Amino acid sequence: MKFHMNCKALITSIIACSFMFSVPVFAQVNKLSDAEIASVAVVANQIDISYAAIAKMKSKNSDILRFAETMASDHKAVIDQAVALVKKLGVTPKDNTVSKKLASDSEKTKKLLRSKSGAAFDKAYIDNEVAYHKAVISTVESLLIPQASNKELKDLLQNVVPTLKTHLEHAIMVQNKISK
Amino acid sequence: MRKAVILFKGIIHMICVIYILNSCSPVTPKKVHNVYTVEIKQMKFQPAELVVQKGDTIVWINRDLVTHDVTEIPGKTWTSSPIPTGKSWSLVVSQSADYYCSIHVVMKGKILMQ
Repeated sequence: MKFHMNCKALITSIIACSFMFSVPVFAQVNKLSDAEIASVAVVANQIDISYAAIAKMKSKNSDILRFAETMASDHKAVIDQAVALVKKLGVTPKDNTVSKKLASDSEKTKKLLRSKSGAAFDKAYIDNEVAYHKAVISTVESLLIPQASNKELKDLLQNVVPTLKTHLEHAIMVQNKISK
Repeated sequence: MRKAVILFKGIIHMICVIYILNSCSPVTPKKVHNVYTVEIKQMKFQPAELVVQKGDTIVWINRDLVTHDVTEIPGKTWTSSPIPTGKSWSLVVSQSADYYCSIHVVMKGKILMQ
């Protein structure tokens, strides 16, 4: 009976979490051009910078603030590299279904984050960072890298993956710390 | 008076002998210190562990997309301050130490002084 209750609680939590954050999943999309891939890369980084800006305004937790500072600085560095590359290649980033979905989902998440405060905000922010980085790593590895045509763009995307994985590891560490 | 002169001459003589012996003694070879490089790339210190001698120099070069630093743990007794992409920072080793990147706290390294 107790096991049944725990299972039910677990399933309820999983369903609740899946609705709590709008984590992008792109199982089926048409092949993206390099201009579209560049747009996805820039938008994905801009979104995490916007989450970090909210965290810097709302949190007083030093681990959250330090993490947010790192996200703002690292994702800006990646955008700078991406912008420099598209300039060099003469490509103009082009909006597409993936970048539009990322942007619209992020609006929902930002609304949710802004509605919280204190420890509830810290938890919501870091839970979202864990989920968001998992989703972005998956998108970069399974969608953007395989579909990139230009070698330099592909190389840049491949170089970004270790940074994203380190962010995920860092986010999980903060998540574990604040949940104690 | 004569005894004092003899004593004075003796002291001068001894000083000269010591000076000559000292200047003739073999020259101690200067200890050569090595310079080691740690590359910061793919969000890792490579190599993560380095065995060195006292007085050796370690140069950390940031070859990543993002800024890093090199900071002693647990006491933060020394730090590089931020090392932007393409830049480097060096340290003359005086003792063994564990270190990390205080910006990306999961990145860690170790200096082992023999």
